Amino acid sequence: MSSVRSLEAELTAAITTHDALDFETWARRIFRHQFERNAPYRAFCERRGVRPETLARWDDVPAVPAAAFRRHDLACGPPEAVFRTSGTTAPETRGHHLVPHLALYRASALAAFERFVLPDDARLACLFLVPPPELLPDSSLARMCTWVGEAFGHGVEWFVGAGGLDLERLLDRLAGAERRGDAVLVGGVTSAFIQLFDICASRRHVFRLGPGSRVMDTGGAKGLLRPLSRAGFLRACWTTLGVAGYACVNEYGMTELCSQRYESVLRDRFDGRGLAPRRWLAPPWLRTRVLDPDTLEPTRAGDVGLLCHHDLANAGSVAVVLTEDLGRTIGDDGIEVMGRAAMAPPRGCGLLLAELGAA
Amino acid sequence: MNEPAREPGCATPDRLATLVDAAIEARAGLRGRALGDTAASLGEAAARWAADARLREELPAAARLSAPVVAEAIRLSAAAVDTAAMLALIEHEFGAGAVERPAPDGPALVGHVLAANVPALALPAIALGCLVGGAVVVKSGRDDALSAPAFHRALEAVDPALAATVVTAYWPGGDRACEEAAFQRAAVVVASGTDETVTALAGRLGARLIANGERTSVAAVSREGLGRDEPLAERLALDIALHDQRGCLSPRAVYVEADGAPSPMAFAERLAAALEHVARELPPGPATVEERAAQQLLASEAEWEAGSRVLAGAGGLVVYDPRAAFRPIAGRRAIRVHPVATLAALPVVLPKRRVECVGLATSGPEAAALVPGLRSLGVARLCPIGRMQQPTLAWPRGQRLPLGSLRGRPDGGALEIET
Repeated sequence: MSSVRSLEAELTAAITTHDALDFETWARRIFRHQFERNAPYRAFCERRGVRPETLARWDDVPAVPAAAFRRHDLACGPPEAVFRTSGTTAPETRGHHLVPHLALYRASALAAFERFVLPDDARLACLFLVPPPELLPDSSLARMCTWVGEAFGHGVEWFVGAGGLDLERLLDRLAGAERRGDAVLVGGVTSAFIQLFDICASRRHVFRLGPGSRVMDTGGAKGLLRPLSRAGFLRACWTTLGVAGYACVNEYGMTELCSQRYESVLRDRFDGRGLAPRRWLAPPWLRTRVLDPDTLEPTRAGDVGLLCHHDLANAGSVAVVLTEDLGRTIGDDGIEVMGRAAMAPPRGCGLLLAELGAA
Repeated sequence: MNEPAREPGCATPDRLATLVDAAIEARAGLRGRALGDTAASLGEAAARWAADARLREELPAAARLSAPVVAEAIRLSAAAVDTAAMLALIEHEFGAGAVERPAPDGPALVGHVLAANVPALALPAIALGCLVGGAVVVKSGRDDALSAPAFHRALEAVDPALAATVVTAYWPGGDRACEEAAFQRAAVVVASGTDETVTALAGRLGARLIANGERTSVAAVSREGLGRDEPLAERLALDIALHDQRGCLSPRAVYVEADGAPSPMAFAERLAAALEHVARELPPGPATVEERAAQQLLASEAEWEAGSRVLAGAGGLVVYDPRAAFRPIAGRRAIRVHPVATLAALPVVLPKRRVECVGLATSGPEAAALVPGLRSLGVARLCPIGRMQQPTLAWPRGQRLPLGSLRGRPDGGALEIET
């Protein structure tokens, strides 16, 4: 047990202190750790003839399909928390991620958030268009927002309750922030932002939030009441909230992963790369390969394929997850998510509000 | 205000409105024509259409199907619009002697929005519209804007007066101006497509819409059926391969009674081999990345399910799934084989209002026992395995009578049983 703690605690410390990570070494250590402690995963690897002592490279670590999280408890030890994927389908078909070491998850989530959403070390009031963890205790997004608020926020307010998004309270709060010239972080699921844009349009409300304000949305097109392109979303952030496109950061995450990717805009601006293309960047402990659907070999640069994430922060469960998402690489450090495999079940944070409505 | 730019070859609202008006006027001129004559012209045109060399050459690329699969689709579509079958349908729905009489009072204009997944859907659409005595306006699907004008050309050569009552057009889905121009005067519009497409149309067309949303099909094999000396797996493989399994009549699951011979697992192995074999004659067309991804994930997921087994090959993918519950399956030429204790469980395990056709390999009494349960689920067609993709014009799609529904007759839970 002590060695389990030491590996996860050591990685937590490395992430927290921004130590340089040797991905290859960590990937090997974590694979051995998971092979030894995660029985279903070990059986899966053995069927493929892959063992820690035969592993040639980090990208030979076998990838588990996201669907496996619907059927198995894939953990290396007793979980401190269990997170479940959102969706309007039957609960038994929803994926569940058992996390034995929450401190590692927290360290990873916070470090990535700070790197990509708060590169300027801003500390803002957090307005979350997400249910609080008391309402959805198994939501990884709610948990992440809690951690963000605690670590970086000047106060946290939640605007989604059992009845859905509390638009009146949110409008009041935004008006107050505008009056005082406060900078705020408005974070939440994309579908909630669209509800906000729609009511503002119908009432001719326009806000000009204080300088330094920013938007973090997640969930994309899933669960939207009406289609809205990314360009349309950014335009609405500007016209409705007064938040410029470069301060609007989309998050790409999955319940099955302890690390997230974020849109590059704020980080690029902070690094003086404001003309770089929008793409989704990862912290150093998360790598994503784009795989040909037929062969599961990497595609040529820029070709569309299945996204396969190797997340070292998943040390307590399974590090390599083959998703149902399609995407492509952009440059040498980014990806773009392009869609889903045909008939893949709808899931993800975008469905949080629909789920509340269905309950 | 300028009209929005349109893709080359797309209809314009003004042109559509003019063509539709002319078609309705032309139809009025045929009011006294006997239905038998209309059927004869349609049958002759279908045969002529099937020989259209340009269509055979151009359709595979447009429909993303291989040339042999398209050739089969053309043959089957033409065969469905067969004169004798149309005469039988007329007499069945309109009564004895109806072929000698003009069409009974019906819609002046019938609209059709065709799905993109299967080619040549225009033929039955045009034929049924003509047989209820209406002018017809057909909007082709994205992947086959060729079949409808080709049939129109064939009809023009055979019967110019009847052809003048038909308008074929293509515009990208959601073009409200074209939709309005085409369907403003339609008493009924039949739309096939995704649930999203038909739901959007329902909001605009209201009660005039007959919606055929997403449906699927399954096959069922009893012990008695398994024991027959028939190439069952090969026939099922053909049902899967036609249209590259894109249609609502394409089987996506087969339920096999468990204690027969061969076993369900052995049947799955035969089916995988049969898919390989049929792919040599009817090779699959190019797959999209979404379809290829779905195929990969299906196999990957099955590996994590207790008792499942994946039989993959160039001809398709067979997943042996010991759980009976119906689960939607994506991919191309992919099917789940479920063992069941008895086919009597089918009405319990299949979803309601989602299954269009059940292909059967059972005894007559076994099939008869299944009818009430399957009818109440919304199943519209029962047929032998190997015939699932070969419906006649009498197929009561969505349990609606093909001619009666166009004339506004209420749904009657119609079920076609082909023996």
